[in-house]
Amino acid sequence: LSWADPKQAPAEPPHLAERLKLLEDSQRATLNVLEDFDAERRKYQNIQRATINLLEDMEAEKGRFARTHQATINLLEDFGAEKHRYQQIQRATLNLLQDMDDERAKLGQTQFALMNMVEDFEAERARAEQAKALLASANKELEAFSYSVSHDLRAPLRAISGFSEAVMEDYADRLDDAGTRYLRLIVDNAHGMGQLIDDLLAFSRLGRQEITAVQVDMAAMAREVFNEIAAQEPGRDIEFSVGRTPAAYADHTLIRQVLLNLLANAVKFTRPRKKARIEFGYLPNVNGGVYYVQDNGVGFDMKYAGKLFGVFQRLHSDTEFEGTGVGLATVNRVVARHGGRVWAEAQPEKGATFYFTLPAERTER
Amino acid sequence: MNDEVVLVLVEDQPSDAELIMRVLRKHNLANNCILLTDGAEALDFMFAQGRYADRRIDDSKIVLLDLKLPKVDGLEVLRRIKSDERTKKTPVVVVTASGEERDLKTAYELGANSYVIKPIQFGDFSKVVASLGIYWLMINKRPA
Repeated sequence: LSWADPKQAPAEPPHLAERLKLLEDSQRATLNVLEDFDAERRKYQNIQRATINLLEDMEAEKGRFARTHQATINLLEDFGAEKHRYQQIQRATLNLLQDMDDERAKLGQTQFALMNMVEDFEAERARAEQAKALLASANKELEAFSYSVSHDLRAPLRAISGFSEAVMEDYADRLDDAGTRYLRLIVDNAHGMGQLIDDLLAFSRLGRQEITAVQVDMAAMAREVFNEIAAQEPGRDIEFSVGRTPAAYADHTLIRQVLLNLLANAVKFTRPRKKARIEFGYLPNVNGGVYYVQDNGVGFDMKYAGKLFGVFQRLHSDTEFEGTGVGLATVNRVVARHGGRVWAEAQPEKGATFYFTLPAERTER
Repeated sequence: MNDEVVLVLVEDQPSDAELIMRVLRKHNLANNCILLTDGAEALDFMFAQGRYADRRIDDSKIVLLDLKLPKVDGLEVLRRIKSDERTKKTPVVVVTASGEERDLKTAYELGANSYVIKPIQFGDFSKVVASLGIYWLMINKRPA
């Protein structure tokens, strides 16, 4: 089939029927082709659908697979975490075992230390027991010594004093005043030394004596002690007063010695006064309660206060006031052994006050 | 006069013994006194044994007994005197320098009739001795 070129003269036209038939054939052929093509297309579409279905199925499968995979991963992950946890537990267990081991080692060390301590304690106790035994034997020795001192040291003093007096009595007509005076001095000194021995023995006994604390009526005891002292100095004008004083918890014998020494001092050092005033009292508000003995005697200078309570310390010469210097040392020792304290306040010629504290309840040293 | 011993002085200290005897003499109390200087001799005398074997037991009015004695201790002498029927009525006065509470207690427990501490001052000592002598030899009565 060719189209007439305008510049060329067309060929002679074919017959119309022929031409129509040709067209019909060609049209049928085209239709056939088209039909075939359509079938082909349907087939293809079917294939495509099947493919799509397949792909869809595959997609689902893939999803399932992916999920399985994920689950597996999750599982693995979980397993990993589990494993990690397990490892941690294992590590913790190991640490625990290690700690236990350390602990056991430490326990062993502690036990060892404890055993050493027990051993040390045993040794210490043995030493303490030994020291105690030594002390007991020393005390016994000291007691024997004091006994022998009190017995044997006084014997020559008795002889000195005794034969001096015998001479004064039996040979008075052959002695002049000086001779008699010398003998008198010998007697007095022997007496002083005897006093010293007695006081010293009493003082040394104080440190060893057991304290047996009982309730003591201090006011009654002070009155009784004062009367005893005053009886030895007849002719004195002494006004003695006792204030309100609570009972003390103390060793009866020892605390009596304290009152005896303090009141005897008060009586002694008021000797120059025409009217002596001595007071035993109690101040509840000072240092938790203090007992005191106050006098209007000769007093003393406070700059010597530190020497007051020392053994053999005296603030007066024998010509002024007699004494051995043991009394206040005794007071100090007794009060200290009761857990109390003693001190004094005074002014020269204006009297003195001695204070002491005693625990209200049972405290022994 | 008989030669019956009325006062027994047991004292090992010569000075003390002499001072005591001097006081007794001055008060006319020294007749028929005997001085014994240790515990063993005191026991021999009290129980009429040894060199006192020819003596009659229990005829003294008073025993002045020191505690610290050679050979036999004064407290032991006291115990023997007071635990024997033949001598226990004899008054025993302990005359000692010891003022130890323990000695005092023991002496009284053993039956001492009195306990006197020797004063150091002789004036006091002679007064004590004199009054002891006067009391036990002249005032005190004892069963026959």
